[in-house]
Amino acid sequence: MSDPTKTSPNWSEIAVGDALPTFDLQLTASVIVAGAIASRDFMPVHHDKDYANAQGAPDIFMNILTTNGYVSRYVTDWAGPEAMIEKIAIRLGVPALPGATMRFTGSVAQTERTGSFGRIEVTICGTTNIGDHVTGTVVLTLPADP
Amino acid sequence: MSDTVSEELKARLDAFVGQPMGGLSTAPDPVNVAMIRHWVDALDDQNPIYLDDAVASAGRFGGIVAPPAMLQTWTMGRPKIQGLAERGGAPTTFETNPISVLDEAGYVATRATDSELEFERYLAPGDELESSSVVESISDEKKTALGRGFFVTWVTTYTDAKDQIVGRQLFRVLKFKPAVTSSPEADA
Repeated sequence: MSDPTKTSPNWSEIAVGDALPTFDLQLTASVIVAGAIASRDFMPVHHDKDYANAQGAPDIFMNILTTNGYVSRYVTDWAGPEAMIEKIAIRLGVPALPGATMRFTGSVAQTERTGSFGRIEVTICGTTNIGDHVTGTVVLTLPADP
Repeated sequence: MSDTVSEELKARLDAFVGQPMGGLSTAPDPVNVAMIRHWVDALDDQNPIYLDDAVASAGRFGGIVAPPAMLQTWTMGRPKIQGLAERGGAPTTFETNPISVLDEAGYVATRATDSELEFERYLAPGDELESSSVVESISDEKKTALGRGFFVTWVTTYTDAKDQIVGRQLFRVLKFKPAVTSSPEADA
């Protein structure tokens, strides 16, 4: 497989049903806090465990901006630097908590050529030991005649 | 909670639907490499279009672009860290909106449930953004696994310095009263 940090896969070789490589994200308090602050989300539930507990959560949990960031990263780790994401539509399930491993899986649900670009819809899921944290779809385009 | 209070609250919430959610938010800084780097490091995102000028310039985007999922980040309000918890977690003081009304009514906890981001184009360093939000809908009070609460949905539109739309986000949160673990309802 090509190195996604250098090149994108060939549009002509992408087919419905193709599986994206699995990605395991080790969730730690550092991962959650780093994402929250980098996204400028200072809600205490994302960095203050006592506060999260008072809100009924067992620990701090990942903010949605970071979840969107990891979904984007997961898809472009596969689609490479020529991919442009047009849409990220997600539903949040169980919280992403420190100590868990979140496994990302995905597959190509639809492909369509529009002019000089190929449009690809990818179905993604991020699952932890307590259930699905995130499910959804990402739509991206790749140059069809690179 | 008495039905009278519920109906009064529902009426207050209904009045927000279709109305602006807060004022126009202007990004405190233009899209910039320092914040992109902070994000890229936090998420360990190796896509070279975000920081590698040579690769980015040779490719589709013609130069460095910001990670698309940062869209919401650029216009986030500047937080007041002191007193954060005492304000019920509100990073800043908000104008009256459905969230603050629900906070006051005791639905103090927030959980994001849905997000739909759409990007018209990728942002580049120097882009100056503004965002404005409209309340799309507010549900009736629902009983959820987390506690009783309301689903609040709003749509945010992001525009650049030329007033062109660069992206949109539909965002839905559950504002709820946390189920207390000692309560007999907690297992429901």
